[in-house]
Amino acid sequence: MQAGLMDTYQRPLQKRGAVAWIFCAALVAFYLLIYYTDAFEGPARRLGLGDKWTLYGVLYTLAMVAGGIYFLRRHGNSRYQRIRTITVVAVQVVLAFALPIVMKVLGRQEYYFSYFWPLKIEYFYPSVILQQPFLIVIYSFLGSLVAFPLVGYFLGKRFYCSWICGCGGLANTAGDPFRHLSDKSAGAWRFEKASIYTVLGIAVITTVIVGLNWAVGRQHAAFSSFAFGVQRWYGLVVGGFFSGVLGVGLYPLMGTRVWCRFACPMAAVLGLVQKFGRFRITVKKDMCIACGNCSTYCEMGIDVRAYAMANEHVKRAACVGCGMCAHVCPRGVLKLEVKPDRFKGGTPIRVYAVDL
Amino acid sequence: MHHVIVGNGVCGMEAALALRRKDGEARITLVSDEHDHFYSRTALMYVFAGQMRLQDTEPYDRGLYERLRFERVRERVAELAAQGKSLRFEGGRTIGYDRLLLAVGSRARPAPWPGAAGPGLHYFVTLRDLEGLDHEAKAGRRAVVVGGGLIGVEVAEILLARGLEVTFVVRENWYFPLALDEREALMVAEHLRAHGVDVRLGVNVEEVRRGPDGALAGVRLGDAPRTQAALAAGAAEVPCDLLVCAIGVVPNTGFLATSGLRLAKGGAIEVDDALRAAPDVWAAGDCANVTWADGSRRPEQLWYTARDQGRVAAASMLGDGATYRRGTWYNSAKFFDLEYTTAGWVPVRLDWDNTPLDPGPDVSDWFQRSPGRFDSQRIICSGGMNPPSLIKQGGLSGPPRPPLAADRVIGFNMLGGRWNHEVLLDWIDSRRSLGFVLDRLAEAQFDEELSPRWRRQPGSPPT
Repeated sequence: MQAGLMDTYQRPLQKRGAVAWIFCAALVAFYLLIYYTDAFEGPARRLGLGDKWTLYGVLYTLAMVAGGIYFLRRHGNSRYQRIRTITVVAVQVVLAFALPIVMKVLGRQEYYFSYFWPLKIEYFYPSVILQQPFLIVIYSFLGSLVAFPLVGYFLGKRFYCSWICGCGGLANTAGDPFRHLSDKSAGAWRFEKASIYTVLGIAVITTVIVGLNWAVGRQHAAFSSFAFGVQRWYGLVVGGFFSGVLGVGLYPLMGTRVWCRFACPMAAVLGLVQKFGRFRITVKKDMCIACGNCSTYCEMGIDVRAYAMANEHVKRAACVGCGMCAHVCPRGVLKLEVKPDRFKGGTPIRVYAVDL
Repeated sequence: MHHVIVGNGVCGMEAALALRRKDGEARITLVSDEHDHFYSRTALMYVFAGQMRLQDTEPYDRGLYERLRFERVRERVAELAAQGKSLRFEGGRTIGYDRLLLAVGSRARPAPWPGAAGPGLHYFVTLRDLEGLDHEAKAGRRAVVVGGGLIGVEVAEILLARGLEVTFVVRENWYFPLALDEREALMVAEHLRAHGVDVRLGVNVEEVRRGPDGALAGVRLGDAPRTQAALAAGAAEVPCDLLVCAIGVVPNTGFLATSGLRLAKGGAIEVDDALRAAPDVWAAGDCANVTWADGSRRPEQLWYTARDQGRVAAASMLGDGATYRRGTWYNSAKFFDLEYTTAGWVPVRLDWDNTPLDPGPDVSDWFQRSPGRFDSQRIICSGGMNPPSLIKQGGLSGPPRPPLAADRVIGFNMLGGRWNHEVLLDWIDSRRSLGFVLDRLAEAQFDEELSPRWRRQPGSPPT
């Protein structure tokens, strides 16, 4: 049994009981208020935090730190989980919280060094680019277009989704009690494939339209107002409603990675890279006892057990490499690995000098 | 063609899938009285603990039976009439078949102690057992778990997790002597005790005590034969509210007494190499008496051999020339937090009645334990003989192999970490020397990334 995971289905909060629905409603209400109203501006100022977004940053970071401690108490017996969790929380505290605040205090345009296009879509908007120092623009472009696909190819998308990204960070810390609630059905997988690439397409098209508008918008008033509409719509619907209201709000009912799995354009890009890259979950041959712990605790809804039973290595675009399937496996069948895929699964080829 | 499969466990389900794969038209009926869906019996402990729901232990989606046109009969078979090719259910109905597969598995070995039968006595093999135990296992109660095997340690773990006081009674001088040597087993016992289990080694249950109303009161323990540690005065009476008997399983073949099928002494169904028990009757999984690599005839009570046997039986039922042969042994388990991997031939050092067993002068052990940690590796070496389990598939009737050199590795027993049995088996099958294996052992490590690399401890035995 896995320390920390027993009793999962004996707690109403973790099995979609009434208290889970109430918690979900509270989270959704909170996100609706903070994204679409000024209700939190007053409290933020009274706390000396400037605006509601700083208050949100404080709450988010606190949730991740507290959740990180909670996670380490449950799964800290794994060195991989220990290092990963400390890293993702540290990235949040330093790059996504402290540094932007320092920049703001210094009177500079704040910048989130752990976020990149297409997740942070505005970092490719010309108006935003022009406000940034040259080095940050280089950092942003190199990150999105060169470094991320390259590192994703060699290490898998987990390097971002489970080690750096704040969305994944919250999911794997404060969200950990809800990871088993992800939908494992084939229908959910079909929906995921359709929805995530649709959002990626919309993100690319939005970026192009906003860029075009910057270039030629002055001459074409109708296009300009359309472009502003698209930009605003993307911010409200994808940036706000999908990632915040649904992404976090649905934790208690649909698990922690709703946004990452069904909508995140960054996850879509990195997933494609990963599919053809070197990262995989290696399956030990004919050792699986089909218990189902791996599939149950996969926050991306991947039926890991089906691969393990079939002796197939898991190579899925969706996998964020959190490592929990390997961690909870009672027979040590799974291992996250970076391996060139030269050999077929289950046929290790090793050549030694003969010593018979 | 109507294929009837009795048993909806891994063996029966794998057979049904294999039949359907090769024959899209055949009528396939699965008979089981346990559950409507194939679930993973190995995961019962997680369902009890609340780590998973029963549905999470079902490897296939619930639409599978309709999609693949598997008919289901939720009944218990009362009698097989092999002559008339029909089964009679306990409900009275009969069903005919063209070809029958008995994949009826095991049931718990009944508690043999005086006074055992009655309320408070539990087993942990079926869903019914789970429901009974789940109902009675309340925090604060006292439980005695008897049996030094895998189910015993699982039950001890889940009862402890639920807040019961657990006394774990093992007849042998050390835990699980079928797989572990004394050093390894004492490490496991130490680990269990650190979790709060009261581990009693080398003791037998003499009698189950019951109150005047029949309610369970406790057990009286006595010294096991040739025990190492004599019971301390006053330690013989252990009061308890629950008694879990986990002393093994027996083939679930009671209903076959009048069938005319040949049953082995323990009740397993005698089958040939094609897993055929009689004309148009096959048997596979826990309930089949098969030939082991060492030539002995026993049932194989393992998850993956049940799966493999199901597939072979299906091929055989369809007329393919499939035969079942067991390859080199491997297995894995988990004792609380300690993971365990074994591969190849690991000699048993202690018999059920605590008689020491000598593997012979040619067998030697290389053993190291990480200081202060529950982590050990044991590599078994041999010379001058070919251990029977090393004779590979098809080799039973083949020419005898030449004797091994003295330092060839024939088995591994790894406790604490994760190891890739494929690599270990590869080394065994290619007759590697101990020095060769120790130089490369880290290659077989399967621990999570970022785990420390395996190395020899200073002062570990020379090669």
